[in-house]
Amino acid sequence: MAENSGTDPTVDSNVVENAASDGTMIVVTVKTPKDKEEIAISEDSSVAQFKEEISKRFNAKQDQLVLIFAGKILKDGDTLNQHGIKDGLTVHLVIKTAPKTTVGGTSQSSASSSGTPQANSSINPSAVPNASTTPGTGPTPASTQPPNLLSGFGDLSSLSGMGMGSANFMEMQQQMQRQLMSNPEMLSQIMDNPLVQNMMSNPDLMRQMIVTNPQMQQLMERNPEISHMLNNPELMRQTMELARNPAMMQEMMRNQDRALSNLESIPGGYNALRRMYTDIQEPMFSAAREQFGNNPFSPSRTENREPLPNPWGPPGTSPSESRGTGASTTTTSSAGGTAPSASNPLGINASGLGNGVFGSPGMQSLMQQISENPQLMQNMLSAPYMRSMMQSLAQNPELASQGSNPTAATNPSQQQQQLMQQMLQMFAGGGGGSLTLTPEVRFQQQLDQLSAMGFINREANLQALIATGGDINAAIERLLGSQPS
Amino acid sequence: GKTCAPPHCVKVPRNFRLLEELEEGQKGVGDGTVSWGLEDDEDIMLTRWTGMIIGPPRTIYENRMYSLKVECGPRYPESPPFVRFVTKINLNGVHNSNGVVDTRAVAALAKWQNSYSIRVVLQELRRLMMCKENMKLPQPPEGQLFSN
Repeated sequence: MAENSGTDPTVDSNVVENAASDGTMIVVTVKTPKDKEEIAISEDSSVAQFKEEISKRFNAKQDQLVLIFAGKILKDGDTLNQHGIKDGLTVHLVIKTAPKTTVGGTSQSSASSSGTPQANSSINPSAVPNASTTPGTGPTPASTQPPNLLSGFGDLSSLSGMGMGSANFMEMQQQMQRQLMSNPEMLSQIMDNPLVQNMMSNPDLMRQMIVTNPQMQQLMERNPEISHMLNNPELMRQTMELARNPAMMQEMMRNQDRALSNLESIPGGYNALRRMYTDIQEPMFSAAREQFGNNPFSPSRTENREPLPNPWGPPGTSPSESRGTGASTTTTSSAGGTAPSASNPLGINASGLGNGVFGSPGMQSLMQQISENPQLMQNMLSAPYMRSMMQSLAQNPELASQGSNPTAATNPSQQQQQLMQQMLQMFAGGGGGSLTLTPEVRFQQQLDQLSAMGFINREANLQALIATGGDINAAIERLLGSQPS
Repeated sequence: GKTCAPPHCVKVPRNFRLLEELEEGQKGVGDGTVSWGLEDDEDIMLTRWTGMIIGPPRTIYENRMYSLKVECGPRYPESPPFVRFVTKINLNGVHNSNGVVDTRAVAALAKWQNSYSIRVVLQELRRLMMCKENMKLPQPPEGQLFSN
């Protein structure tokens, strides 16, 4: 009764009484929540046969497949016909990945990748500096706590790839962070944990972790250099090495400091560094601070608070110190009055920048020279210590975001390094073009808005905008909260 | 009676509407996370439907498939359908004893509009599974059915 269409009687292994079954091929769309495939199958097939085809196409085992059509689960023994599955219709597929058991079982790295990154994207950054700033504290009898955290990891892994979006997850994260913050020994224990080490040795993972952090994302939006840096596996790897090895980290910091003091002697560099600091480091610090509550490293704060030698700073306090402690606030207040002008493309106002460090006209002219002469920057770049600094620079944003803010000594180095890096990129990236993006220019729109709102003190507005990284609302609060300084 | 004002208030004949939904169910309209179809192909009244919800990821319902019965009464789509879980589930708004979905607990049912459909209801139930208050509720072992 059915048409004859070159048929395979063999296909018809199933019930279908209809002897005239023709084994016509039909094309059925098989849809998973993520994927869609069109599969040609004989219309008389059984579900089992259909699954066979599907398992090949989707690369999954047959017994992992669950097919749903029109609200019903298709059983292996059924036929497509029985369910009314015809050409052009869609069947839903769920590939069961044996929940909880397999996810835990599939290699530590994947478990950790699913479970831990999200937790650790904020935790690990904090874990790292803590480990570094409290190097001596060996494993403590705080053995009860780490297992909690780690079993937290275990649970997380079973939730296979739970994202940052889950509210519950955030709570857990925050809890973990708080625990970590309050107990540095725990951190070092965690760092010692092979799971963590494993994860940290995976650059992709680290990158993912960092990237999924919303504040980092924001930061990255504003500063594409950061994402470039994150994309550099070499840098990531180095950072992770550092993170894993607190002693090494300290060593590196010391190197950086040395390099920096060299850098300071380059006139003009310091200025640009500060500029960049406010662009990069401050948002990072505030982001980090948000996450970590207040000063995450209070216990370890006592580390080296001595400011770096300051070649320019007349009155005792170096800008590094002021920068170091109050990161965001102090900096911005000392960043006051940076109205860019023609001769001062980077918008650096000598008088405004506290402590008279940037007060020297010589500095300004040098800055100007630099901005006019990218070659100068290139030369600077090729200086040997610059190399190491650049490397450290790259790692720094991570370190910075880990809130290693309190260590005043290292702070200026970090800030400077970051500024340096941005500066370098700016300059390397094509002469003076990028230099014209003074804060004033960048925040032009915001400035206009502010003045339209009645904030007529353009300088104060600019400062506020710089301090808040262009965030109008925050700038307004700043302006209202503290009389424009 | 309702105040009707086209275009959003055209009263579509029930069967016409249900046939449309039937076709959509077969064509897999939607994001592939819910499925629906006639319980019995011979049901010319198009009253009894089965639905399937795939448990959303990152919740306790993940990887599970929940079977439902949906009944579209004579006044459908002016009136909302009756919905009942067949597969046992612990979800706010679903009666623990028999799987009946509390109309007041599901926005799509509580504020039903005739432009809604079975798919909308199923998707809403799935969304509920992702709510904070539901996503971690302990669940009965897989495969259990409500005893009704």
